[in-house]
Amino acid sequence: MSDWALNIRAGLARAYARTVGATREPSWVVFDVLLPLLGVAAYIFYYRALGADPVFEGFVVLGGAMTAFWLNVLWGMAAQLFWEREVGNLQLFMVAPMSRMALLAGMALGGLFTSAVRALSTLVLGVLIFQVHIMMADPLALVAVFTLTMLAVYGMGMALSSLFLMYGRDAWNISNLLQEPVYLMSGFYFPVRELGMVVSAVASLIPITLGLDAMRQLLFGELAGGLLPVTVEVVILALQAAIFIWLAAFSLDRMEQRGRREGRLTLRWQ
Amino acid sequence: MSSAIEVRSLSRVFSGRKEIVALDDVDLTVEEGELFGLLGPNGAGKTTLIKILCTLLLPSSGTARVLGYDVDSEAKQIRKRINMVSGGEISGYGLLTIRENLWMFTQFYGVQGKVAKQRIDALLEEFGLEDKADVKLRTVSTGQRQKMNIIRGFSTDPDLIFLDEPTLGLDVTTSISIRNYLRRWVREREGRTMMLTTHYMREAEELCDRVAIIDRGRIVAVDTPAGLKRRVGNDSSFLIETTPIDTARLSSLTGVRGLTARPSNGHLKVRMVLEDESVIADVISAVVAAGGKVVGLSKNEPTLEDAFMHLVGRGLE
Amino acid sequence: MAVRDHLRTLRLAAWLGWQIESNWARPALFLLYSFIRPIATTLILVIMYLIIKQDVSSDPAFFSYVYLGATFYMFVSSVVFGITYVIHADREHYQTLRNIYISPVSLYVYIIGRATGKVALAALAVVISMAFGILVLGLPFDPMLVDWPLFAIAMLLGLACLVSLGLALAGISMLTAKHSTSINEGVGGLVYLLCGAVFPITVLPAWGQAIGLMIPVTYWLELIRRSLYPGEGIAMLGGLQDFGDLTILSFLLASTLVFAALSLAMFHLADRNARRKGKLDMITTY
Repeated sequence: MSDWALNIRAGLARAYARTVGATREPSWVVFDVLLPLLGVAAYIFYYRALGADPVFEGFVVLGGAMTAFWLNVLWGMAAQLFWEREVGNLQLFMVAPMSRMALLAGMALGGLFTSAVRALSTLVLGVLIFQVHIMMADPLALVAVFTLTMLAVYGMGMALSSLFLMYGRDAWNISNLLQEPVYLMSGFYFPVRELGMVVSAVASLIPITLGLDAMRQLLFGELAGGLLPVTVEVVILALQAAIFIWLAAFSLDRMEQRGRREGRLTLRWQ
Repeated sequence: MSSAIEVRSLSRVFSGRKEIVALDDVDLTVEEGELFGLLGPNGAGKTTLIKILCTLLLPSSGTARVLGYDVDSEAKQIRKRINMVSGGEISGYGLLTIRENLWMFTQFYGVQGKVAKQRIDALLEEFGLEDKADVKLRTVSTGQRQKMNIIRGFSTDPDLIFLDEPTLGLDVTTSISIRNYLRRWVREREGRTMMLTTHYMREAEELCDRVAIIDRGRIVAVDTPAGLKRRVGNDSSFLIETTPIDTARLSSLTGVRGLTARPSNGHLKVRMVLEDESVIADVISAVVAAGGKVVGLSKNEPTLEDAFMHLVGRGLE
Repeated sequence: MAVRDHLRTLRLAAWLGWQIESNWARPALFLLYSFIRPIATTLILVIMYLIIKQDVSSDPAFFSYVYLGATFYMFVSSVVFGITYVIHADREHYQTLRNIYISPVSLYVYIIGRATGKVALAALAVVISMAFGILVLGLPFDPMLVDWPLFAIAMLLGLACLVSLGLALAGISMLTAKHSTSINEGVGGLVYLLCGAVFPITVLPAWGQAIGLMIPVTYWLELIRRSLYPGEGIAMLGGLQDFGDLTILSFLLASTLVFAALSLAMFHLADRNARRKGKLDMITTY
């Protein structure tokens, strides 16, 4: 069997496990569909209390939907290999011949599916309940931007997962540390340009920043106050996707070697 | 016949606050088609050796080749042809069924869907787990989980399988059925090799073509179980049953090579290897001096346990 | 079981919780974590505020309303979720829940003890956030004008109420699979939305306001704001301007007692169900 066929099989199997596992306990509907909407509603009412233009409520719904992917990247991707080691699966993954990238890609694919359910439900319910007005002029461009954003963001998650594998329980704190600051820096609930050019430029190193900005522009037009023209953001996102995926493959290989040298691949309760 | 495993001057040191030498200059050859046992007390280095051979850990020095490939530079080629099962492992996903978990692991080895299904079905039947196949893993018993792990190991049809304490914590009937399968697997498939670590002397004696005794990171002896037993040579093996006493005094007697003691029906069964039959008189005196009473005494044919005591100087447990 | 035994359990569990919280992290990362996270959380709201209102000084009472609510809400996330997290961490990560469960200690007390590390960290985060607000953002604050006794009583009752809420959620966690951080996030969202954490509950639809008035966190946050804000202005914003401090304090006390009773009942019920359904040692990763 060619390495390609092996890796595709392995990736799909891991994606299947992730998807089926995520939806097998009925509690997921409450936790992943209904509850996240409450946080979104809070930000919407906050804007209402401040007397903001209704378009800001649209930014919150979009940001709230994209939160699902960011949380999945942090907790379901970056911290996942560390978790796999803790429950004893990692050594079996490492003994298997498939590429480690295939394993992570499978996790990403499965995570993408479950996060998409959460994101879509937030988007649809948000739009319906809060009467958010969307102007979708170019759905194809939106799909392209979303796809590139996901490739870049999950590529970043894959790169982080190899690092987290080595840094053990610190991974937990790094994930925690990245959660809120990224909501802030990447402009999940407001146009990122409001943070000023310098902060926005730094924040743009995190691919979800430009992805969100481009999607905001495609959904809310001029009112979105875009940071850069959408085409420029698309080019940067494509570059980020390529760089992060390459970085993930490189660092995964390095970290596996280091893990084998230091005996960390099977070390639990770190 | 070519070698399935070749280990030369292999050492592994774990650095930390205190340096630990887990393997110390190990040399070992396992031939293709062999069922090879690694026997040693806790912390002897068995699992470290298996981890190195499975490509999970790199040696600090020396070389190890598995199926002709170097564990350091050719890990990928090795991984396609091996598998590993550890006793007491908790692998798999609790929310997936046993069949789904097994299927997932076969896919990590690129096994075609139809073939994977046939193999999984056959193995589930072999291990009497077919009625639990579609049950979530988190709901099954420890024994059933361990059976699943063993099936996982064989479902990829490896050329070489590493089994680290595969029957740990299992009941007698299950252990016997697993041992029978392991024996058949090696005998019925030409060129398949198995490396097994175990605490259970009987398991090693029953199953293994050859056994390596490992202690404190060094290989003390490698031979067939019969060959190892012959090494007891002129030493004598005795079983003494006494009322409960502290056996520390017995082990320090001159001429006592090693002993193990197990409580039994309110008494103590002390199995010991002595340099010479005459030492038994000193042993009995020591038992009496320790306030014990000898209830039974018999001289035995040497077992693998005696060989272990003879070579290592103490029992396994 | 004697009170002394409970106290010993509490002390031991608190020690263990603190070890887990702090012992393994690199000190630099730990410090960074303690500073950056609380400030980022409140800054999101501050930026949103500034985008719409342009500056802080135009409406200092409203800014204080938002900032104090956001800052003290950190206790909600830390205490409630710190407690909930113990169940998933001990059940699936450390796999010690079953051992604790069969030991003679009270699981209820053990969980509270384990969460104290998080409470200590939350207190640190609140102090940092307050300092940042006063020194950098110009949050109105005068220690001479703070109603310290009211603040102290409100904090005490508030923490008791949060612990109760956390234990009720811990009970639910015993029965549910580990869905990343969603249970924390979701319930956090509910409290955030309905208790006027960052906006007056008067913005909510009538049914939302009615529910908000049944949750003690609403009264707790109101009292914290009233005790810390120099002047009267803030009491006019939260939709509770018709009630005096003592009345709100009595609402807080009454609702906390009801919550504590409900939480005990819920924990007990969940505990029995978890045992009946064999969920005390389940591993639910996927």
